[in-house]
Amino acid sequence: MDLQFAEIIPKLGPLLWGALYTIFVGLLACGVGVAVGTALLLMKNTRFWILRTFTSIYSSFIRGTPALVQILIFYYALAPLVGINIGPFTAGIMAIGFNSGAYVAEILRGGLSRVPPGQWEAAKALGLPKHKIWFKVILPQVFNSVIPLLVNEFTMVIKITPLLSTITLVELTRASQMLYNETFRPVEVLTLAAIMYFAICFSISQFGEYLQRRSLKFRL
Amino acid sequence: MNFDYMAIWENSDILLNGLSMTLLISAITIPIGVCIGVGICLMRISNNRILRWTAISYIEVIRNVPLLILIFMVFYALPFYGIRLAGLTTGIVCLSMYGGAYFAEIFRGGIQSVPNGQFEACKALGLKYSFYMRRVIFPQLLQYVFPPGTNIALTMIKESSLLSMITVAELTYAAHDINGRTFTPVETFAAIALLYWLISTLFLNLAERLNRKLGGDQIADSITIR
Repeated sequence: MDLQFAEIIPKLGPLLWGALYTIFVGLLACGVGVAVGTALLLMKNTRFWILRTFTSIYSSFIRGTPALVQILIFYYALAPLVGINIGPFTAGIMAIGFNSGAYVAEILRGGLSRVPPGQWEAAKALGLPKHKIWFKVILPQVFNSVIPLLVNEFTMVIKITPLLSTITLVELTRASQMLYNETFRPVEVLTLAAIMYFAICFSISQFGEYLQRRSLKFRL
Repeated sequence: MNFDYMAIWENSDILLNGLSMTLLISAITIPIGVCIGVGICLMRISNNRILRWTAISYIEVIRNVPLLILIFMVFYALPFYGIRLAGLTTGIVCLSMYGGAYFAEIFRGGIQSVPNGQFEACKALGLKYSFYMRRVIFPQLLQYVFPPGTNIALTMIKESSLLSMITVAELTYAAHDINGRTFTPVETFAAIALLYWLISTLFLNLAERLNRKLGGDQIADSITIR
């Protein structure tokens, strides 16, 4: 079969909107992920054993079940279970955010282990209250050291967003499905979608590697 | 609200069929993925420029394009070129290719952690490439690649859920099926989530035991790859 990209190019609009939407959803989900991850990190370091057990069960569950199933649970099962009717947009962002949160917590744990213990001792010696030690002293250092890894986590999030097409969110994958159903040209449309995903993820992951190299260069 | 557990119980044969399909797909794709990984890794570290750049572009494309797009391309686009694969075959091909790229990177990382002197010693002794790779280098890298390799294998088990979108009757498809018959979304999706959780926990436990024998790092520490 001959490729006819010329036929597709004028209809590229929805695909580009889908790509923008993918990035938008990815950013929001990543925000939720960082918030959830930070909360999990704090819960892991409390003296309440219930919270600590909860975090390990949570990360085992997120790690042990497919992201697709988590998205389906959020979309189909949450509404009848707790009685709040959330739309596909909220459900999708929450599902991906909570999924990403478990991995972000793991990344942050790595960063936390690199914070020298003297920082804790100094903060305690200065008489800072517990929440100030965490939010003003420790966490800024943790985040500073894991920024490259968080950038990579963003590409991971972008790569899960195609699953949102199953819950009727019109992001890049769904937009391309609609376009090739309309034009009967799946080869061209899917190739273009793949190129767009590649461009998004590759540039972000190269940026992450650049940050990684730079942080290694300036490490004492 | 009250739960209708009978809906799951009465349709448990669909669920079990789906479960065995998921296990079958994983049992086929993980070994093929490891083989592709070894091949791509050898290409990636070879001195031949063409082989090396083929491997690099393969790895980068697979790692930066979502698996779902790859599956759709094989399933919906290849028939236009006269290659018509069934859903299951498509799934096995795509999952193996996907896992292969990640395995290749892990093997490369493992080979890089083997000291250079080992390679030089082998060459100085006049050993053949295929011989020293198999008998000298490979045994040393096993403990480095096992923990991250386990994570990729686990990811492949989980990603097999995407095949439900191209009508492969695995566990997630079974859930859609039961949900369509009984309209009990909470119970069905909770049931398959628990089943997936069970599979991965058993898999990780088994791998952790093997890993302790090999003496590698804890598997949970290499969780950031997925």
